[in-house]
Amino acid sequence: MPELLDVSSLTAGYGDGPAILDGAHLTVQPGKVHCIIGPNGAGKSTLLKAICGMLKIRKGDVKFKGESLKGLRPDQILRKGICFVPQERALFPKMTVRENLRMGGYSLADKSGLERAIDEIEERFPILRERRDQHAGTMSGGQQQTLAMARTLIVKPDIVMLDEPSLGLAPKIVQEMFDIMKVMASEGITILLVEQNALMGLKNADWGVVLDLGRTLFEGPAAEVMADPRIQELYLGGKKAA
Amino acid sequence: MMSVVSETLTGDAASSVLEARRAHNEKLAAKSDKARAIWFPIALLLLLLALPALQVIGNFNYVLHLVLFTACYVTMASGWNILGGFTGYISLGHNVFFAIGGYFAGMILARYGISTILMAPFAGLLCAAVGYLIGRVTLKTRGPSFIISSLALVMIARILFDHWKFVGGANGVALPANDLSVEWAKLPYYYAFVVLAAFSVWLSYKIKHSKFGLGLRAISKDEIKAESAGIDTRTYKVLAFAISGALVGMAGAIWGEYLTYIRPNIFLIILVSVNMVLMCILGGKGTIAGPVIGAIMIIAFNELFVATLGASEINILATGLLMVIVLLFFPQGIVGTLAKHHKLPRILNWD
Amino acid sequence: MEQIIQTLILGLALGGVFALMGSGLSLVFGVMRIVNLAHPSLIIAGAYATYWAFKLWGIDPLVMLPVAAIILAAIGVLLYKLVFEREARSAKYSEMTVLLTFATAMIVEGALGGMFTNTQRVTSPSYATDAIFIGNIFIPTGQLYAGIVSLLIISALALFLKYSRFGNAIRATTQNREAAELLGVNVNLVCIMSFAIGIGLAGAAGSLVSFVFSFFPAKHWEWVAVLMSLVVLGGMGSILGTVIASFMLCVVAAFVGAYVGATWSTMTFFLALFLILLIRPQGLFGEKPELA
Repeated sequence: MPELLDVSSLTAGYGDGPAILDGAHLTVQPGKVHCIIGPNGAGKSTLLKAICGMLKIRKGDVKFKGESLKGLRPDQILRKGICFVPQERALFPKMTVRENLRMGGYSLADKSGLERAIDEIEERFPILRERRDQHAGTMSGGQQQTLAMARTLIVKPDIVMLDEPSLGLAPKIVQEMFDIMKVMASEGITILLVEQNALMGLKNADWGVVLDLGRTLFEGPAAEVMADPRIQELYLGGKKAA
Repeated sequence: MMSVVSETLTGDAASSVLEARRAHNEKLAAKSDKARAIWFPIALLLLLLALPALQVIGNFNYVLHLVLFTACYVTMASGWNILGGFTGYISLGHNVFFAIGGYFAGMILARYGISTILMAPFAGLLCAAVGYLIGRVTLKTRGPSFIISSLALVMIARILFDHWKFVGGANGVALPANDLSVEWAKLPYYYAFVVLAAFSVWLSYKIKHSKFGLGLRAISKDEIKAESAGIDTRTYKVLAFAISGALVGMAGAIWGEYLTYIRPNIFLIILVSVNMVLMCILGGKGTIAGPVIGAIMIIAFNELFVATLGASEINILATGLLMVIVLLFFPQGIVGTLAKHHKLPRILNWD
Repeated sequence: MEQIIQTLILGLALGGVFALMGSGLSLVFGVMRIVNLAHPSLIIAGAYATYWAFKLWGIDPLVMLPVAAIILAAIGVLLYKLVFEREARSAKYSEMTVLLTFATAMIVEGALGGMFTNTQRVTSPSYATDAIFIGNIFIPTGQLYAGIVSLLIISALALFLKYSRFGNAIRATTQNREAAELLGVNVNLVCIMSFAIGIGLAGAAGSLVSFVFSFFPAKHWEWVAVLMSLVVLGGMGSILGTVIASFMLCVVAAFVGAYVGATWSTMTFFLALFLILLIRPQGLFGEKPELA
C-alpha cells in the first residue's frame, strides 16, 4: 500500500525568488499528530504551502496515496483530501460563523448533506452554535481557531495541515486547541502542524520533524526528538528545556 | 530510529558564494562607470542653444515652437519624476502647480508688466510653499488613496479658478504679447524653457545622487522599512512634493505669457497631468533620461496625431491606448527596459 | 420649511441614482482592489446606448436598462481579460491598476467623443420631465423612478451576495482571497464575474443617468471624483456603506446648492473626499484602512 503522504527532495520558493525549500522530505504516519519545528525562515510554512498547492513545486515530488500532486491547484488538492489552515486562520471576518462553515463545504460536489454536516459540527462545538449568526471577526482568538479547525471537518479530509495554530493565543487556550487536534487524530485524520513554540508542539505530538535551511534534518517519534541533545541545544533553547 | 539527513552549508561553501557576489558587484560598478557619456547631454544642450541662429536664414518658428514645447514638458515631467519616479507617489494632480505658477506670474505681468521669465523663480517658490502645505496633508495617504486625493485636488482647483472673479473666472485673462518682431518673438521663451529644462535635468541628477535621493528611493521600495532604518520619510516625501511642484510651477509661469493668456482650461485639464505621468512611464520612471525621452516621444506622437487626424477626441483615445500598451508591456519604460537587458546606449545613460 | 423638505426630497432622489452609480465601483474595489477610474466613463457608455435606443427605435430607457447592463458586462469581461488579468501578480498592483483604469477612461471618452461628438445629450421619455405634486412640494417623476429602480437593483445585488452560493464566494474572496482559494473558490472566475457585474451595474446606472442628467463624453471627469467620494466615505468595498454615503452626501450637496450656490454643490463631494481620505481613510463603515 502506498504511503498516505510522501514528500521527496522537494524544492520550492516564492515567485522568482530563491528556493526556500531545498530538498526537503517527509513521510507521515496515518492518524497521528506530526509537529514540524525549526528556526524562523527554515521553510516550515513553505513546506505546507507547497504541499497544498499554493506554491509551485520546482523539483522533487509530493505524492498523496501514491499519486503525484505536482501542478495541481489548491482546490484540486483540497478535493483529494488535504486541508490547509494558514497562519491567520483563513476566516471571513465579516461573514457569520454559519456562513464560514458553509464556505468550508464550497468544494463539495454534493451539497445535499452540507447543512446536516454543519449541524453535526455545531453539535460537537457548542460554542459555534451559540455564535452561529455572529461575524467571525468578532470572536476571540481561540474561538476563531476552533472555527478554522472545525471547518476543515466538513470535507472529511484525510490530512489537516495547520500553520501555527497557537499564534496569539493564551497557553490555556493553546492546550485546548491541541486537545481538539488529538481528538481529530483519534478519528483517523492525520494532523500536520507547524509550531514556533517547539517544545509545546512536540509535547502534544506523536511524531516530530526538524526542518532547517529548507531541508529535513531529523524526523522521529516526538519523545525521541525532544530527548536528542543536539536538537535540544539547537532548536529547543538549550539545556533548560530538558 | 532517528537519522541525520543532511548537514548545514559548510564554511567553505558559504565563503565561495560571498566571493562570487563580490566579483559580480565589482563588475557591475565598472560597467556603469564606462557606460556614462556625459558629453552627450552637454552637446545636446549647446546645439539647442545655438539653434535659433536658423532664424537668420529663414522662418523656423515651428521648429522653435516644438523645441520650446518639448522643453516645457521636459521640465514638468522631470519635476513629476522627482515625486512619482523617485518616491513612487503617483500624482494625477500636478497640473495644479502648472496653474498656480501660470496664474501667479501671469497676473503680475497683467498688473505690473513684469516679465514672467523674471517671475518664474518666484512662481517656483510659491509652488514649493503650496506643495509643502498640500503635501503635509495629502502625503499622509499612500497608494490608490494618494492618487484619488490628487485627482480631487484638480477638481477643487478647477472649480476655484473657474469662479474666481479676480483672475477672470472661466474666461481667464489676456496677457500682453512682447514687442519683438515675428521671427524673434519666440526667442525669450525658447531660451527660458531650454534653460529651465536643463536645470530640471541637472537638479534631478543631483537629487538622485544625494543622500536625500537615496532616501526617496528607499521610500519607493518599502516605506515602512525606510522609516525603521531611520529615514524621516514624512519630511523627505513632502520636500520631494514641494520641489516637484516648484519645477512644474516655473514651467507654468512662462507658459502663460508664451500663449498670451491664462485660462483654467489651459492649465487644469486632465491631459496636461496625464502627459507628465505618461512621459515618465514611457521614458522610464525614476531615471534621469526617462522623462526627456518620454517628452520627446509623446510630443512627436501628439503632433503627428494633430497633423494627420486633427480631432482632439482621437488624441485622447490614442493617448489612452498608448498608456495602456506602455503600462502592460513596458512598465519600466524605455530607459528602464533597455537598462535591464544591458542594452542602454551609453549616450542615454544619464543616471 | 417647505423649501427644506423640497431640498431634502431632491437630494434623496439623486442619492438613489448615485448609489447605483457607486455600487459597481465599490464591488470591483472590494473583490479585486481595483480603483476603477474608468467606471464613470462606462456609465456614460451605458447612457449613450440607452439614448440611441430611445432616439432611433423609441425603446424606453427602463426597458433598455437590462440590455445596457448586459452589453456593458460583456465589455467588462473583455476589459478584464485584455487588461487586468495579466496584472494580477504585479508587485505594484494597486498603482498599476489605477493607472490602467485611468487610461481606459481616456480610451472610452475618446471613442465616445469620436463617435457621438461632444454635444450634450439627454434621453427624454415622457416621465423624465413630469413631476408629482404633494401640496407645494414637487417630486420629479424621472428622478423618482430612477431612484426606485436603482434601489431595487441594489437590493437584488445585496440578496444575491448574501444568499447565493456564488454571491457567498464573492464576499469570501473580498474578505480573504487566500482563504477562499484554499477552500476551493475559483478566484479568477470570481474576479471576472465581479468585474462583469460591476461594469454591468455601470451600464444599468447609465440607463438611469441618461434621462436624469444631461451627458457628454468628457462628463465622467466630474463624476469620477463624485463617485470616489461616495465609495471612500462608505468604506471602500462596502456596498451598503456606498448607498448610505450617497444619500448623505447628495442631501448635503442639495442643501449647499440651495442655500450657498449651485457652483458649490459639486464642491461638497470633492471637499468631502479630500477630508475623508485625510481624517478617516477607512471610511464610515470600514474597520481598518483598506486603501493604504
